[in-house]
Amino acid sequence: MNLSRADRRERLASLAAEYALGTSPPRVRRRLARIARRDPVVAEALAQWERLIAVLGEGAPGVTPPPRVWRRITEKLGLVTAEAPRIAWWDRLGLWRGLAAASFVVAMALGVVQLTRQPVPAAAPLVVVLAGPDARPAIIATAARSGRFLTMKAVVDTAPPQGKAFELWALPRAGAPRSLGVIPDGAIVEVPLQAPAGESLANITPLSVSLEPAGGSPTGAPTGPVLYSGKIERMY
Amino acid sequence: MNEAAHGAAATAPAERSARLAALLARVALADQGAFAELYRLTAPHLYGVALRILRNASAAEDILQEAWISIWHHAGGYDAAKSQPLTWLTSIVRNRSLDRLRRREIDVVEPAGDDDAPDIDFPADEPSPVDLLLAGADARSLRDCVDGLEPGPKQAIALAFFHGLSHGELARHLDEPLGTVKSWVRRGLEKLKRCLDGAGVTR
Repeated sequence: MNLSRADRRERLASLAAEYALGTSPPRVRRRLARIARRDPVVAEALAQWERLIAVLGEGAPGVTPPPRVWRRITEKLGLVTAEAPRIAWWDRLGLWRGLAAASFVVAMALGVVQLTRQPVPAAAPLVVVLAGPDARPAIIATAARSGRFLTMKAVVDTAPPQGKAFELWALPRAGAPRSLGVIPDGAIVEVPLQAPAGESLANITPLSVSLEPAGGSPTGAPTGPVLYSGKIERMY
Repeated sequence: MNEAAHGAAATAPAERSARLAALLARVALADQGAFAELYRLTAPHLYGVALRILRNASAAEDILQEAWISIWHHAGGYDAAKSQPLTWLTSIVRNRSLDRLRRREIDVVEPAGDDDAPDIDFPADEPSPVDLLLAGADARSLRDCVDGLEPGPKQAIALAFFHGLSHGELARHLDEPLGTVKSWVRRGLEKLKRCLDGAGVTR
């Protein structure tokens, strides 16, 4: 049955309402969930009722779950600390040990920047080594503090698959990630910044690259997996 | 953790939503600190949802664990334009809890024609489902909309919502024919939706 047909809207609305409330029989539940995965009209009907249903539950009291729940979650996910994991994976010791071995790559990248940029920026640069979860450096990003662009140099062979794009994100100390835009194709590229790098990247700890649909994230927040991440090093 | 949950409840809803959405976006970038904070702020609400539906602490803990593992992997699927962050999180937990509950029911073979099926017991120290529904009515318009329902539909919706009762269980619990209960639920929900949409409560 094609539920998204106009003449079945009413039937869809009542099925969606019962789904969201949870009264529909198991077989109907499973079928609707399956259909919603490929039919956006059905998915939106379910979402609409879920929004309404969520409003109903806002005043119900919460119950603090026992600490073992969080412990099990972190264990299952292999997160760093089971207690209060405030450390992001790019801050892990192992990663930085791995990167220390790669510091010569940074020196080389700076060399590249200085060769390709004339005149050499007077101000001390900002350097970010973006690495994957395996700690292998993949992209080196550099910027002069007064510069209005970030130079990104791929040090491994990396390109987004067909129909996808790499998007660069700046993670402030608090608040939502800020997109710095889609990274253009090429081995050495420039990503424009809205303000001088020293200002634009102040209070940013890591930069991350996520895989997004061509043209960048449709939601304004990262939607795809994080491929590379690295801390901003301020060279004085 | 209670304190954090309390703090979150005390801030303005829009501010709280923006904060949770920002945390979700950071989780999409694999930020563990944001994941931990999101958990501290919302796990009590989500655990309450699972507990009321499943009425079994260890099953609710399992669901919470599964849900948070899924949240870690799928935070990038959250779209702030489509739903509030707490709605998105709650849907994950509610749907998983309901799926688990229904699966459990299939496992239990019900004796045919048993008119003396035991009533469902709810803990005596907990407010009634209708009270819980009204507790959400900080927003006056929500309270008005809930209050505007007939007693039958109101109770059926509250029981289904908070305790995951199916149509069959509602009929038994309320001692009404199945058809009556089904139409209470359907018409009650439609009326609620019209009322809440009109009041601008749903977003």
